Amino acid sequence: MARTRHVIVGGGTAGMNAISTIRRYDRGASEIILVADERPYSRMVLPYYLKGSISESHVFTAPPTRLRTLDVEPFIGRRAVGVDTQINTLMLDDGTELPYDNLLIATGSSAVRAPVAGADGSGVHSFWTLEQAQGVIRGITPGCSVVLVGAGFIAFTILNSILALNAQLTVVEIAPQILPRMIDATGADVVTRWLQERGVTVRTGVQLNAIEDADGRKRLRFRQGEDVMADQVIMATGIRTNLDWLEGSDITINRGIVVDAHMRSNVPNVYAAGDVAEGRDAVTGEAALHAIEPTAMEHGRIAGANMAGQSQTYRGSLLMNIVEVLGLEIASFGAWDDADAEVMSALRPERPAYRKLLWHDDRITGAMILGPARDIWATNDVGILKGLVQSGVSLRDWKSYLRGNLFDVKRAFIAAGATGRLLPQTVLGRPSVAAESVAVQ
Amino acid sequence: MKVLRITPQRCTGCMRCEIACSYEQSGVFQPAKSVIRISPFEAHTSYAPYTCTQCDEAWCMVACPVNAITISPVGAKIILNDLCVGCKLCTIACPYGTMFYDPDTAKATKCNLCGGAPACATACPTQAIEYVEAESADWLGSFAAERAETQLAQQA
Amino acid sequence: MQEELPGGYAGKILRVDLSQNRTWTEAWTAEMCRTCIGGVGLGIKILWDEVPAEVSWDHEDNRLVLATGPLAGLPAWGTGGLTVVTRGALTNGATNTQANGFFGANLKYSGYDAIVLQGRAPEWVYLYIHDDTVELRDASALLGKDTWETQETLEQMLDLTGHQLSVYTSGLAGENQVRFAAIHGDYGHVASKNGCGAVMGNKRLKAVAIVRGSKALRAADPRGLWMAAQEIAEDLQYDPSTRSLYEYGTLPGVSGLSRLGALPIKNYTTNVVPEGVDMSQWTAQGLREGFDHRGHQCNSCGMHHCHAQVLPSGPHQGAIVDEPEYEGWSGAGWAFGCTDPVATSWLNTQVDRACVDVNEFGWLMGWVVECQEKGYVTKEQLGGLTITWGDAEAANALLQMIIRREGFGDVLAEGVKRASETVGGPAAECAIYAMTGNTPRGHDHRARWEEMLDTCTGSGGTLDSGPPVLPTEMGQPARINPFDPDAVARMVGGTRGRRQFEDSLGTCIFTTRTLLSILCRTLSAATGWDFTKDEALLFGRRTAALMRAFNIRCGITPDLERPSKRYGSVPVDGPAQGQDIGAHWEHLLDVWYDMVGYDRQTGKPLPATLEDLGLSHILADLWDAREATHAGT
Ligand SMILES: Cc1cc2nc3c(=O)[nH]c(=O)nc-3n(C[C@H](O)[C@H](O)[C@H](O)COP(=O)(O)OP(=O)(O)OC[C@H]3O[C@@H](n4cnc5c(N)ncnc54)[C@H](O)[C@@H]3O)c2cc1C
Ligand code: SF4
Ligand code: SF4
Ligand code: SF4
Repeated sequence: MARTRHVIVGGGTAGMNAISTIRRYDRGASEIILVADERPYSRMVLPYYLKGSISESHVFTAPPTRLRTLDVEPFIGRRAVGVDTQINTLMLDDGTELPYDNLLIATGSSAVRAPVAGADGSGVHSFWTLEQAQGVIRGITPGCSVVLVGAGFIAFTILNSILALNAQLTVVEIAPQILPRMIDATGADVVTRWLQERGVTVRTGVQLNAIEDADGRKRLRFRQGEDVMADQVIMATGIRTNLDWLEGSDITINRGIVVDAHMRSNVPNVYAAGDVAEGRDAVTGEAALHAIEPTAMEHGRIAGANMAGQSQTYRGSLLMNIVEVLGLEIASFGAWDDADAEVMSALRPERPAYRKLLWHDDRITGAMILGPARDIWATNDVGILKGLVQSGVSLRDWKSYLRGNLFDVKRAFIAAGATGRLLPQTVLGRPSVAAESVAVQ
Repeated sequence: MKVLRITPQRCTGCMRCEIACSYEQSGVFQPAKSVIRISPFEAHTSYAPYTCTQCDEAWCMVACPVNAITISPVGAKIILNDLCVGCKLCTIACPYGTMFYDPDTAKATKCNLCGGAPACATACPTQAIEYVEAESADWLGSFAAERAETQLAQQA
Repeated sequence: MQEELPGGYAGKILRVDLSQNRTWTEAWTAEMCRTCIGGVGLGIKILWDEVPAEVSWDHEDNRLVLATGPLAGLPAWGTGGLTVVTRGALTNGATNTQANGFFGANLKYSGYDAIVLQGRAPEWVYLYIHDDTVELRDASALLGKDTWETQETLEQMLDLTGHQLSVYTSGLAGENQVRFAAIHGDYGHVASKNGCGAVMGNKRLKAVAIVRGSKALRAADPRGLWMAAQEIAEDLQYDPSTRSLYEYGTLPGVSGLSRLGALPIKNYTTNVVPEGVDMSQWTAQGLREGFDHRGHQCNSCGMHHCHAQVLPSGPHQGAIVDEPEYEGWSGAGWAFGCTDPVATSWLNTQVDRACVDVNEFGWLMGWVVECQEKGYVTKEQLGGLTITWGDAEAANALLQMIIRREGFGDVLAEGVKRASETVGGPAAECAIYAMTGNTPRGHDHRARWEEMLDTCTGSGGTLDSGPPVLPTEMGQPARINPFDPDAVARMVGGTRGRRQFEDSLGTCIFTTRTLLSILCRTLSAATGWDFTKDEALLFGRRTAALMRAFNIRCGITPDLERPSKRYGSVPVDGPAQGQDIGAHWEHLLDVWYDMVGYDRQTGKPLPATLEDLGLSHILADLWDAREATHAGT
């Protein structure tokens, strides 16, 4: 009997997690082909490469030996350009045709630049891929001035790095607040003040009209307010899923590929995972496009398990983000901006610290936490808030306690028995193993 | 596997485990670096230690984008310091709040069971922490619920 | 650049000027570490250098030193130590008084070995310390609150729980400058002597709130330190002389002392346990098992000593209180005739919350009850209150009047010495105190002559040396006849210095009940010194002599070194019936003075003693040249 042939498109977080999960189950019984247009690396550690705290080699997640250990046949540097689900065949940019039994689409997303004049000029960067990161590294010299266009989560992940390179930083954002998709306005105010006090210029509610060349520098023109001069411009104005190549296929795509609880698309032997997959959100129960690392990781593992012949149901992904800017830690979980939820919040501007809990009945469905990373007595709480949302534990009397004591979540978490609810939970129904312990036999 | 079994009724809140843990982890006496933490459950009394249960899912380990967390020979999920980039993803992935971040080293830190000779268990004068063959369990839940009753009643 | 300091030290002394709203730090030198160590050693140096004769306890230039020591925050047992040193309100002389809890640990993790306060705040403030953040903050939200409420409120305000925050305050007693106000912290740890809380109140400092800091403490030989800590732990746990202390703390005191006639009952009017009192509930086991306990230990301590407990019955059933120390069972109980453990346990915590010295409180209550019984103090004087022997509720009512200085409470707030002098007549003759103003500990010292001598000659607000710990190590006999004046005075003089050494380490007096040599090994492992028993005793005696010199400068002279009439009276019944210390008093003093090398006439440490102790630099301040050559000849 021929070995089952799995073809994985995309060597990012979702793709690599799927591969090692398949191997964990089948120990090498199947054939695995990886198609990726870049060497596999972790995008989310690029900020540390930019900062200089890790070297380039540190970003790669699957060097050739690792792929050999996993018995993966690599097509690195090749792009997938189309798929024929009738004949179960993937087409690559060099004309190669790869028949498959199971196909995983994990092609992630790309950065998109706001459509303004000059956005494609020299000295204007995106920060999403390794190559783009290298462009930024070459561009930034000590003392130069950098404008970050867009104050979303990704922009914030590189904020520390830019400052660590001794650049002057201005952040501009079209929305009335920074981090509009991660925290509320009160939290954003705290962060803005924190940044301003530390020498970062923040302008919100301004729309960029054009980026012009001006004596070897850049002039940014806005619909409202003064121009800003810069040496380098980084556009962090959004991302879009890498699904163009599926145009014309019969795979159903909404905002992303629509998948079931097994990460299967409408075509039974075609799976999708990561940024491209519109999977179930654990809190809302609805289909959602998360574009975050933990979701890509879990998607990849569930897809891999099912491709390996298991029947593994996914309970859904929890939206979560954490970012630290100049010592201020900002995190949010679940449905943190749910307008239907009951809200409790507490602000301590002098520390500064801000917390917000969102409730449905006596369960927490979303949370936000913000405070200095050095505030060691609060550090347990970040994970605990995630645990409260994840476990959906009923907090009973603790709800009214928390109203007046939002900074004492640990007692509530423990006394409500969240630990007991969480301990049996695993994503794959069994204990996890360390990545490097997975190998073919 | 051997785990840290906590008997909260025995804990006196002396914090010696925190001192021991910080020493084992960093070579100095600095409870801020301890990855076991004591809290009270009934006003200012009824203390209990809280640390990583070395949970089955190992949310921290699977979340790490660079595989900097692995499982040690004694079954502890441990951080490989030179691999850790300090992105904090593990700190939000762990739903127990037992993954820490050390701002001085810019790395994550967590209980590593001291390589199989837990300093906290040795230091605890009351054997509230023991290193024994057992299943990980919710050692504190019912104790906390019972002791916190008075606390909640006072609030009401 | 700061020189490398010995291990164990946080490295800085925090200075606070309340008048100027200014804080700054001072670095130690390595030499200063070795000569002052910490605690009382450091505190008395500061008093001597900075508090001249004319700066009385309530002068804004008085210093309030809140010091820890090199072992605080380290893993030896009981290392949360606080030593309070100031010019105190009862004697208007030096104060050396301790509390444990988490003060020392939290403070040192924030980077400081001691806090030295001076000045007086224009408005009430509290001192907030968290690592490098040190601020005097508005305390209006804390005014009127007792010690526990103050801590609870600060926990709420700062969003911290448990030992993340250590709070030391002088409660309402401090606010109203009750002369025997204490400084209390961490729910049940009290530095109680000599009105140190009144000094705090006089400075308009409501509380000191220390967040468990994030800094590192180092030891010269950390592994050696763990081993030394283990040595102490094992010694306390297995040595027969400390085993019961390890198991039960000071709980065995009541039943043990009652058998010696040293339990103070009803204001020293009897030494016989009243008929009908079930003494089985007063044994250590009885007291331990009579309550549902909660752990509430001090920093890094493994003694089964400090606990919180739940009241099992009575009007306050279910309340969580601090398990009383022996001193509490006596002061909030037996001293005024209360023989109900539950009522005593409750009242003891009310005393802590009000924030007064429980010993002085006991003598005061005993005196009031006796005076009312005998008609020396009337019901009208007490604002309509009747208090009879053992009435804990009435005692609490008086306590509340005292800390608010309401009605007769204002007279009582001056302490039993001054209150009895104010009332005068026969009432003046029933009060228990030392003439210096020192407060006797909660025993009947008429059956414990060592402690009466020690209390009357002490320079820190109560006794200086305490009951001898392992005296053979200091060349003294293991046991003496307690009523042999010669042996008593030799023992008190011969063990002098040990306590001052203990009080400088940042530890607890109970966890130091081990051999001096072991303590020295522990200190050496922490600091890197090669500290010997001889150096420890020399240090202790130097510290004691400096305290005495300070008191002499404050005008506390040897003619005050005697007990009040009642304190020095003869027991009328019980095991020590008829033992008359008064008949031997002069002889006790003669022998003691000779032992310690102080001048019998002036009370000053003799020039030769100063020389021996390394205090020649104060000789000129203490003795004028002509006097000096004659002294001691
Ligand atoms: C700077 C930065 C910081 C981030 N920080 C965080 C963070 O802190 N927390 C967080 O949760 N998330 C973060 N993210 C997002 C996170 O990296 C992504 O959500 C995650 O990488 C998604 O994984 P994925 O496998 O779906 O896609 P990717 O990791 O993007 O992988 C997609 C792969 O597909 C390949 N590919 C694409 N198209 C084709 C094709 N047609 N043919 C062949 N191969 C193709 C790509 O080369 C790539 O290898 C960050 C992202 C960036 C860029
Ligand atoms: S740190 Fe948290 S997620 Fe990681 S093993 Fe421990 S309990 Fe599990
Ligand atoms: S086992 Fe070791 S690392 Fe874990 S909590 Fe105890 S002392 Fe700390
Ligand atoms: S050492 Fe033991 S008794 Fe002390 S706080 Fe830790 S667990 Fe509790």
